[in-house]
Amino acid sequence: MKKSLMAFLTLALFVGTAVLASANSKMVTVWCWDPNFNGYAMNQAALVYNKSHPDVKIDVVVFPNSDAVMQKVQAALQAGGAGLPDIALVQDFQIEQLVTNYPGVLADLKAAGVDYSQFAANKVGPMTEGNKIYGIPFDTGSTGLFLRADYLKAAGLNPAHYQKDLTWNDVITLGEKVKAKIKKPLIAFDTTDWTFLRMMVQSAGGQWFKADGSLDLSSPAIRPAIATVKKMYDAGVLYPTEGWGNWVSAFNNGDAAGLMSAVWIIGTIKSQPTNAGKWMVVPTPRLSGVSGARNASNWGGSSWYVFSQAPNKAGAIDFLKSTWASTDPDALEFYNTILKGAGAMGTFLPSRVGSNYTAKDKFFYKDQAVYHDFAKWMADVPNLRYTANYNAWGSAISASLSKLYKGELKTPDDVLTDATTMYKQSISQ
Amino acid sequence: MKAKGSFEKYLNRSGWWFVAPAMALFSVFMAYPILSSLYLVTRRWRGLRDSFIGLGNFVRMLHDGLFWHALGENFLLMIFQVPIMIALAMVFAVILHHGIRRFRGAFRLILFLPAITSLVAYSILFRILLQTNGLANNIMQNLGILQQPIAWLNDPFWASVTIVVALTWRWTGYNMIFFLVGLQNIDPEIYEAAEVDGASKVFQFFKITLPLLTPVILFSMVTSVSGTLQLFDEPNVLTNQGGPANATMTAALYIYRQAFVINSDWGYATSLSYVIVLLAAVLAAIQIRVLGGRNK
Amino acid sequence: MSMAQARFSTPRFFVYLLLVFTSLLCIFPFFWMILGTTLNPNDVVKGTLIPGSELLNNFVKATKSYNLPLYFYNSFFIASVTVILGVIVNSMAAYGFEKFRSRARDWVFSIFLLTLIMPQIAVILPLFRLIAAFHMLDTHWAIILPFSMSAFVIFFLRQNFQMFPKEIMEAARVDGAGEARIFTQIAMPSMKAGIASAAILLFITQWNSYLWPLIITLSDKTKTLPLAMQSMMSAYTVEYGGLMVIVTVSLIPVLVVFLAMQKHFVAGLVGSIK
Repeated sequence: MKKSLMAFLTLALFVGTAVLASANSKMVTVWCWDPNFNGYAMNQAALVYNKSHPDVKIDVVVFPNSDAVMQKVQAALQAGGAGLPDIALVQDFQIEQLVTNYPGVLADLKAAGVDYSQFAANKVGPMTEGNKIYGIPFDTGSTGLFLRADYLKAAGLNPAHYQKDLTWNDVITLGEKVKAKIKKPLIAFDTTDWTFLRMMVQSAGGQWFKADGSLDLSSPAIRPAIATVKKMYDAGVLYPTEGWGNWVSAFNNGDAAGLMSAVWIIGTIKSQPTNAGKWMVVPTPRLSGVSGARNASNWGGSSWYVFSQAPNKAGAIDFLKSTWASTDPDALEFYNTILKGAGAMGTFLPSRVGSNYTAKDKFFYKDQAVYHDFAKWMADVPNLRYTANYNAWGSAISASLSKLYKGELKTPDDVLTDATTMYKQSISQ
Repeated sequence: MKAKGSFEKYLNRSGWWFVAPAMALFSVFMAYPILSSLYLVTRRWRGLRDSFIGLGNFVRMLHDGLFWHALGENFLLMIFQVPIMIALAMVFAVILHHGIRRFRGAFRLILFLPAITSLVAYSILFRILLQTNGLANNIMQNLGILQQPIAWLNDPFWASVTIVVALTWRWTGYNMIFFLVGLQNIDPEIYEAAEVDGASKVFQFFKITLPLLTPVILFSMVTSVSGTLQLFDEPNVLTNQGGPANATMTAALYIYRQAFVINSDWGYATSLSYVIVLLAAVLAAIQIRVLGGRNK
Repeated sequence: MSMAQARFSTPRFFVYLLLVFTSLLCIFPFFWMILGTTLNPNDVVKGTLIPGSELLNNFVKATKSYNLPLYFYNSFFIASVTVILGVIVNSMAAYGFEKFRSRARDWVFSIFLLTLIMPQIAVILPLFRLIAAFHMLDTHWAIILPFSMSAFVIFFLRQNFQMFPKEIMEAARVDGAGEARIFTQIAMPSMKAGIASAAILLFITQWNSYLWPLIITLSDKTKTLPLAMQSMMSAYTVEYGGLMVIVTVSLIPVLVVFLAMQKHFVAGLVGSIK
């Protein structure tokens, strides 16, 4: 049977090549999830590293999203570690879950000599376990409200009037005006994602969990935040979308006049060149009537982790230390490059002096120096405790929020009760 | 004398040889995994560690609102989507067989076309078409059928409707082919005799066609119900992992998430899947009983 | 009433209208998909119905940035090997069950039939653990082997073999032929329609398979087309134009296989539903 012989030969070739590839200790495999953002940043780091280590190949594998990376990491761990990469990018809100469920799978980088005093404290927190510290912090998710200045003008408003600290009530008023004049909802809003609410609560210093990981809904920021989101939804200020792709197309195509997101969305915004000169960013609006409310918050942010069972652990650690945790001029310049190139704002403190941190960006309305603004706002962000149960809670409350929008649940307390029940079932308490 | 002759033994051995490869694959890749995972039902998993919890998984299941909600969605689809689809398939089969003379082959092919798509492919197409700012809403607004766009994928009710519509689009043609084949097997003389006796077309349909097609209808129903119970691709791809407020979460999708996405709790996921197996067996048995006859 | 009038009756007109309307509904997504391959991502979402000029761009993106050739190869390799293995294994089994009747084998067949109502998810979980334990995750064979044997195909081929006369077998035995020869040189060649249908079924099922490959693949090495499509759809940056190209390409082999074998497919079904 010629066909199956051919098939067998091809299979043998595949296996052979795979074996050869893994035997190559001069390779470092990295798993991440955005070719325009963290994939791009890692490739830049590879360029820097290859100057002094030309024989090492940094293989950057891009997955479609961060959940895919987590799932494949877990599948590989379930298989005893076969197929694990050397380095994986993990979101800050997911790392505690990984560490709790799979003790010992990550390499202790503090013991490997990384100086964590050089990194932003709120990034080091989630990756610390006792006196072990696991990752290399990557980016910050300093948030801002992106608005289409051209749409504001079309609605008869002056964009400069909004480039200041606003409250969400101000935003609702603005949204109503814009909707009345040009029929466009103000903010594109992914209804399947609870981070909008979570970011609002964080901006007022709210917490969802106690230090021991148990759910704590006593924070004074939570209920007003839920009420605000509902008010915005009912006022037609929000343009609901059903997932990430839909959300991006809503603001890039101009179906909505703005979005609430973080500095890392800049790469996606710039991927629509016809919008050049139209976008402006204003500080995160704050919750009215909640003490401690600020005009800054955080959305996302991830870090690089090395696996204890990594095929090329030593090589991976050396690579990370020489690029992401190094004060070499080349390394610092690389941080500067990825800031402009993808809006990747690093959390390595010595790198904050790069020229791009203060440069004007021509893509934005009136050449706004967006990175300078985001960095300024970042200093004001209250810390948020994630814990290992963050995802489970997020799933529960997103579902409850959907019922709130539909009117099936009426008050913030209804939402919290509904979500708590679902949450407890999902973590089998 | 019942002793087997050597020729019979030779035939018997040959019979086993022919069946052996299939049995080997079945044992290794189906029987062994299912049977050997029975013990998982009594364990609770967190990451790579497991612990014994007796019947704890089943207790947890009883309180697991989301699981029952997901199962409820499966049943909703079985009650609404399957009958609609089978009725439509029957209608079109009858039309193509009795109702028209020309272009039969062409219509048959076109109506069957949706069935060749992979579930992922057509789910993706529908998902893009039905976005709030997508083509379906645009066309309907332009035609004046809608004033406001419908949130097909954002609203829990419409999301379920979307699944029903999508499944019907995808599977009606497939079932129609089975009915067509069944119709072809009916001797036309029966109809001629009935005509002569003065029976109306409607009478003929209900008293001749349907009874004779019972085996095919049973087959369609059993496979459709079984397929609906296992629904995974569409809720996952079309409505983004279970839909708004988990409106379109199905049992299989929920079990998958328990095992691979949320917490890798193999014990719980396995327990849930055994419940589904039980349900599948019961449903099949009921259908075979009710619609009677051979179970093929 | 003349013949012409009798043929063109009003009810018949409405029947044709209904058929045309339904046909349009069936065809529209395909038409829109092909149209989408020529548009830029934003227009795909908006749903413009006028063809654009981005076909080449989208094709290049799908091939270069999204590795369409590799995914196509994976899908094709897996489906083809499944067909070869499946046709052999399933037709041997059907032949054995049908032509060598015994109570024990009838029991085995009944057990096989149970798998028809066995929910896939119940098999997949323990199967995953088994494959992981054998370190066969992320391999083509892990996708091929579990799904080569199909109780449905065996059942349906059995019906086909029913029509194969025992007398021929007996005559061949008298001539000194071994069972294997009878099977491969006499029985199989006479079952072309059934085998063709079995091949189509196995190919299409494996080509479109999603849940099992989703769990088994860890990297691009074994990624198949359905996985690639869903990845693109759930990515942070959705390349809609390239996605339309991949979806279109994924439908072509199935369409070709089906159109080519259409006659055999229906003939094979007619034989088995009796």
